[in-house]
Amino acid sequence: HQVLRIKTKNEEEVKQLQLLESLEHLQLDFWINPSAPALPVDVRIPAASVQSVKAFLESQGIEYSILIEDLQDVLDKEKQDMAESAQRQRSSSFDFGAYHTLEDINEELDHLASEYSFVKKIQIGESYEKRPLYVLKFSTGGSNRPAIWLDAGIHSREWVTQASALWIANKIASDYGTDASITSLLDKMDLFLLPVANPDGFVYTHTSNRMWRKTRSKIPGSICVGVDPNRNWDAGFGGPGASNKPCSDSYHGPSANSEVEVKSVVDFIKNHGNFKAFLTLHSYSQLLMYPYGYKCTRPNDYAELESLGRAAASSIRSLYGTTFQVGTICKTIYQASGGSIDWSYDNGIKYSFAFELRDTGRYGFLLPANQIIPAAKETWLGLKRIMEHVRDKSS
Amino acid sequence: RAMELPPSHFPAARAAAVAMGYLRYLRGGPGRGLHLRELRRARRQDIDDVGHKYYLELELEDVLDKDRTVSCTAEVLYPLGSKTSAPDVQVTVQGELRSTEEADKEFYNRIRSLEKELVAENIPDSHGNVPPELEPIHRLAWVASGYLIWQNSTENTKFHLAQVKHVKQVKRSDEDLQFDYVLLLHEMVSQ
Repeated sequence: HQVLRIKTKNEEEVKQLQLLESLEHLQLDFWINPSAPALPVDVRIPAASVQSVKAFLESQGIEYSILIEDLQDVLDKEKQDMAESAQRQRSSSFDFGAYHTLEDINEELDHLASEYSFVKKIQIGESYEKRPLYVLKFSTGGSNRPAIWLDAGIHSREWVTQASALWIANKIASDYGTDASITSLLDKMDLFLLPVANPDGFVYTHTSNRMWRKTRSKIPGSICVGVDPNRNWDAGFGGPGASNKPCSDSYHGPSANSEVEVKSVVDFIKNHGNFKAFLTLHSYSQLLMYPYGYKCTRPNDYAELESLGRAAASSIRSLYGTTFQVGTICKTIYQASGGSIDWSYDNGIKYSFAFELRDTGRYGFLLPANQIIPAAKETWLGLKRIMEHVRDKSS
Repeated sequence: RAMELPPSHFPAARAAAVAMGYLRYLRGGPGRGLHLRELRRARRQDIDDVGHKYYLELELEDVLDKDRTVSCTAEVLYPLGSKTSAPDVQVTVQGELRSTEEADKEFYNRIRSLEKELVAENIPDSHGNVPPELEPIHRLAWVASGYLIWQNSTENTKFHLAQVKHVKQVKRSDEDLQFDYVLLLHEMVSQ
């Protein structure tokens, strides 16, 4: 069935349409009836009548356009949307398929921690503007088990990452006990998830500048604000691919770990002492990368990381066909110093990967909310593949 | 003498972004939005005293004709040493692109029938939404940004249109339509 919008130019054409309206065998369903020349007429036409109605309109020189190409498609999609929405209402009041404020995200972290005994919300530090840095700890027991680190939103404008991290947290929590892979993973290892690694920047993207990337720290001697937190780690700090200019979006900061958001993570991981994997989410470009960024030479574990990366990319692709490119940071995108996974790798955490999620530039940072859950789902498959490998190697 | 490049890595992707900018400028419009589905192949040739030339095979999509695949080849030459000269681009589209006559006419008539000059901002909005009636305006922004991206690219930049910050229709005494855009471009490499 098609829905046409007909634009009549005069009374004569209106009369023609009223004539059409009277032909019952066509089974036309006028959503807006023909009444006056200035008003558009919308009519649903059963498939069988579409060609003859169009032929009639064209022969009379009456202008029309296709409002809905295929009504069934629209109805199917709507039904699906409503079912999914109902499903969401039933399972949780938090809509994982929408973008949320920091307050709402923190509330959901509390909700997850209260609903699942093996999930705890811990605070590992404070941002520059004194916002708590909340990490979800997934632990089913043991004492300082080998652990996996996962963070999102270090660059605040990359909204699909914080949103995906929430979905992933909920997925892991709700699937423990029923999904064999997640269950065996959490029975052996702990998972630490930092969904909003740069809360000051994140709030700023909501209140003032959607395109803000850096932290919000004041820089002595400069009118510009903020440091690129992914150029601030102690790995080739200050080298190529980072700027020494405070107003630059890739300003590395006055010194390594000058940003409290970075230092808090560094201290936490060092004090823990038993991390086996360090995974970080960014957007956009659809890439799955491993060290190094600060230099263009291959890491010692190149073969294993490349192979694992390809397997993870393959898992990602299996869901919706989304392709992620795999490689070292330097070869895949560009040389960039002071990055987090270079630091973690050089500090003994072999399985260090950086993901760049959807898309490849069509919407970029402004990824429509209806892509959050598909992005989260496919990314999760890639993360899971890596985590399974880490689990198997750590036991 | 041309070196094969991994199409998945950024050096090739940067050249593809330039080709896409140029192509959008040439062939885009309110009724046609061209996007890159896949870069199939890329080669680079270093030409003494001239510059670096990239040979590309691209698979495109016309957003208003999604079921079809459009193939295209492009050559992007970055002139040696010149920081002010735009890359030289040649593009060949295989086959015909879907006609935009109907869509262009509809857009033209709709804008002409507005009581006041069109003004809009933040396209897409923070959540990635574009109201359907602003989609042609968004596609027109891709044309404009295509020109800017082509003119301002070097071998070490990768530009994307991040957002239409503001668009304002300019009142004219003739029958042409004119829009002033303020665009946000994202440069990947310097981020």
